[in-house]
Amino acid sequence: MTMDRRSVLGLGGVLAAGVILAPGLRLIAAPEDVTEASDKRRWGMLIDTTQCNPACTACTQACRTENNVPLTGDPERDIHWIRKVELHSKDGGKPDRSLPVLCNHCEHPPCVHVCPTQASFIRKDGIVLVDMHRCIGCRYCMIACPYKARSLVYSTPSIPGTPNRKVPMRAKGVVEKCTFCVHRIDDGGQPACVEACQKEAKGGMLFGDLNDPQSEISQRLRQVLSTTIRPDLGLKPRVHYQGI
Amino acid sequence: MSSRRSLAVRMSVGLLLAMLLVLVGGFPGNLGADPPQPEKPKGGQCVRPAEWMRHNHMDFLKHNRTVAVREGKRVRSESLQKCAECHTSRERFCDRCHDYVAVEPDCFDCHIYPK
Repeated sequence: MTMDRRSVLGLGGVLAAGVILAPGLRLIAAPEDVTEASDKRRWGMLIDTTQCNPACTACTQACRTENNVPLTGDPERDIHWIRKVELHSKDGGKPDRSLPVLCNHCEHPPCVHVCPTQASFIRKDGIVLVDMHRCIGCRYCMIACPYKARSLVYSTPSIPGTPNRKVPMRAKGVVEKCTFCVHRIDDGGQPACVEACQKEAKGGMLFGDLNDPQSEISQRLRQVLSTTIRPDLGLKPRVHYQGI
Repeated sequence: MSSRRSLAVRMSVGLLLAMLLVLVGGFPGNLGADPPQPEKPKGGQCVRPAEWMRHNHMDFLKHNRTVAVREGKRVRSESLQKCAECHTSRERFCDRCHDYVAVEPDCFDCHIYPK
């Protein structure tokens, strides 16, 4: 059997590619062993309320499963990291807009300023977090937050049947809130609500780096008319809304 | 008078005997308890030498958690998720010693031990 020059070269190329790819053959890259939050990034969200269906609970459900936030059955003490809010017109008409409200991860978060134990803090990449190891459950932050984004754990939570083992439960007597799914972000992923909205709903939620002018969210923020909730408070929230 | 004194002597002798009984009967049981042996890990090498870990794992874990939570620095090969790959059972590894020395770390009030 004879081979012409081209097929020999081609075969060589395929073999070489095989040798290079085979040892580390992985379709989805695993995160590196050591990663660190970078102060060059500012995570933010843009929510297109025109795409938000009042009956849809994809984002809130996804959040509950991802972060082990079960409903307690007592509406006054239920924990919400993200909740659906209906907008009424000022003349008391029917609600005409529905939108999810979550922690706004403000640039100047009042919850962090009032925290007496420094349990609430701003991470380098702008995410506002609660260090559960330090929280004493005084609830100053809940009073300070204008977005009602925080909840107190009133009783020892029941662990869901198939918990997400990557996210710890919270003990009785701490305050908890949305983390922007920090464990997913650190692995290069997206928050669970955003992923669910894109998969199960119309994809009205967009998440990305506000510091990167080339990121999709930065480009969209330049193109569309958007606002934040209560911009007059001067907290500079990083959750932006389009269509309200 | 003498009968009262003899009663006091008899009572104190009885008390002493009772205490001796408790001491003799109670002590050997406690002395016989050997330190517990935690389950042998499945994998090969730990992230730090075993002897070092025996003394310092609490500070090591606490340091790692602070760095992970507050600075966002995640060392995946040294995460709690990884511990469980070798130390497969919390009950047979962590709890055995903790129960013996009567310490109650509250890690697992919240953290779900990985499977």
